[in-house]
Amino acid sequence: MKTEHDVLIIGSGASGGMVAHELTAKGIKCLMLDAGPAVDFERHRTLKPVYELPYRGFGRPGRFPHITQASEFNANIWADEAQNPYTYPENNPYYWVRVRLVGGKTLMWGRASWRLSDYEFRCKDHDGFGDNWPIRYRDLAPYYDRVEPMFRVAGRKEGLAQLPDGIFLEDNSRDSASVERFIASARRMGIPTTKQRRATGELASSVNLLLPAAVASGKLTIVSNAVVREITRDRNTGLVNGAYFIDRRSRQEYHVKARVVVLGASCLESTRILLNSGLANSSGVLGHYLFDQMYVKNIVSCVVPEAKGGRAPRGLMGGGGYLVRFRNLATREKRFLRGYSYDFGGGGTPSYRYFPLYGEALQRKMAEVSGAGFTMTAMGEVLPRFENHVRINKDVKDAWGIPVLHIQQKYTDNEFEMARDARHTAEELCRGAGFEVIASHDRMVPPGESIHELGTCRMGDNPKTSVLNRFNQSHDIRNLFVVDGSAFVSGGCQNPTLTILALAMRASEYMAEQMRTEAI
Amino acid sequence: MKRRRALQSILSLPAAAALPLPGQTQSAGPAEEHPKTPTTAPDVVAGAVARFFAPEEFAALRKLAELIAPAGPNSPGAIEAGAPEFLDFLLGSSPPDRATLYREGLQRLNAEARRRYQKPFADTTPVEAGPIVAPLEEAWTYDGPADRFARFLQAAKDDILGATFNSREYAEAMSRRSRRAGGLGTYWYPIE
Repeated sequence: MKTEHDVLIIGSGASGGMVAHELTAKGIKCLMLDAGPAVDFERHRTLKPVYELPYRGFGRPGRFPHITQASEFNANIWADEAQNPYTYPENNPYYWVRVRLVGGKTLMWGRASWRLSDYEFRCKDHDGFGDNWPIRYRDLAPYYDRVEPMFRVAGRKEGLAQLPDGIFLEDNSRDSASVERFIASARRMGIPTTKQRRATGELASSVNLLLPAAVASGKLTIVSNAVVREITRDRNTGLVNGAYFIDRRSRQEYHVKARVVVLGASCLESTRILLNSGLANSSGVLGHYLFDQMYVKNIVSCVVPEAKGGRAPRGLMGGGGYLVRFRNLATREKRFLRGYSYDFGGGGTPSYRYFPLYGEALQRKMAEVSGAGFTMTAMGEVLPRFENHVRINKDVKDAWGIPVLHIQQKYTDNEFEMARDARHTAEELCRGAGFEVIASHDRMVPPGESIHELGTCRMGDNPKTSVLNRFNQSHDIRNLFVVDGSAFVSGGCQNPTLTILALAMRASEYMAEQMRTEAI
Repeated sequence: MKRRRALQSILSLPAAAALPLPGQTQSAGPAEEHPKTPTTAPDVVAGAVARFFAPEEFAALRKLAELIAPAGPNSPGAIEAGAPEFLDFLLGSSPPDRATLYREGLQRLNAEARRRYQKPFADTTPVEAGPIVAPLEEAWTYDGPADRFARFLQAAKDDILGATFNSREYAEAMSRRSRRAGGLGTYWYPIE
């Protein structure tokens, strides 16, 4: 007879890792399943020159049709679409970017760590669209306060309502002269800026910041290469009681029992497991309200004139920052709801693609602009809409025989108008700083490519319009929790990982208390 | 070899085998070590063989590569970097739409050169080739040009420059010029 665990956690990334960290600290015995293997950093990676790679850095052609982040260096990190297929409407591709390794996407994330504010939690109150979250900023703030030190988030306090301050490693480093000029241009336009807020350290992952303490407690067992097919339910009680999983390598199937089941398998994988299990969908909204954040990468590319020809004086170039959401706060835009932000930075060399030249003329131009570049990338809020959704496509199965997701998400006029506005504003900001704009555009990357997929298992107070309650607990099944980005009701334009971590921590506290009182 | 491992390996052998026979001299034990055998990448010792494009197409690709990325005084160009041979290999294993774009584009280069100068593109002078590759001088747009031949030229520009900058020859030239190790990255092995 195999042991029944207190809690089964499916997924080992930000959310699953946080639940394991918190529950094991309270003495709760957890079993964690992850679909992928564990990384051995000594054995699995090495420094190599690009010319030693089989495809000279281009990568094997056609291997990753939807993962623009994949390079030949990191190709073995990403989930292979041949083994892990999914479908989407013709002419409307969705770029689903997955990492199937213990630690999940926290092995690869950009580390940007921003809090949401009540402009997101109470979004409907502010502009009438969509739904409010069932929680307010004040409910989550104490958890942000605890997560930021764990992830060693560096940043600078600004006192902005739309981007609440946190517990930071204070970053008061001096800006370069070109960044100062850009910030001055933003100030003249009434737009706030700040330093980047990022998790620091050589590695900022679940595998070094969350899982080690849980393992050391003796309360966590991790099974790698365990592809979960279905969560099982006790017919008598209606409660979930475990899961079927398949060994990734041998295809042997297993069943594991647990008192509580927590899904933290990543936004769309968690929803896929629920849909394949036929659970937690009395509302009919499971799989719906899929959204992400729209990205316009390199929305503007500039050259700082004084840096041309390698003449940049010391301190002119380098560094960057973050331009904070400024639209639709005190005033209302006519063309779109919500807002966007930008990353900006200088000191690189603009791409040769921007120059309509070749041969020696191109070589002279590239020498002229070397190190003189300044770029901005826009990140905007995407409105959650019922019609953007995922469902199971029973006609297609993955390498383990599990039906895959069909993913349908389209951007609408709100996002297109926002992108147009972001482009014009970016050009104005850069020209105001005295930079030469060499290229600009307003083409958003396809849905999914930002790797900020959110929703499809959203929380709410009303069981008829939401899947989870305010503590990430299924309305339908009280011992089932979903703790990843699928619980989001809206997403703002802030990178979501910090909020996922804080929500998972908050859900864990609630879960532990429910278990202590035997409510679950 | 660590002392403990040496002891373990001696202890695991039969006593007779572990001890030198009379008259034999005992050497240091390379047989007991786990050496890393040095190997060499193929492009260090051999030239790549072009197999995908037809000879006239490949000649046009070489000419285009020379135009787009000529050698500089201190840096190799596309030809020295073996970019055409590499692209022949890459396109040969690329999805059909990409390979077709290239084939059609290279054939068009030859057709245009014959129409204008009655010779293949590979035999044109840079001045003669200029009007044929004029789409390379069109302003950048995010979506790229609508015209298929112009799309080919933009793709070829990207690929030829990438294949040149990512070559061993280019990295060696850069490291001679500065201390920077160009093109170095963290490579992830397959994880099982």
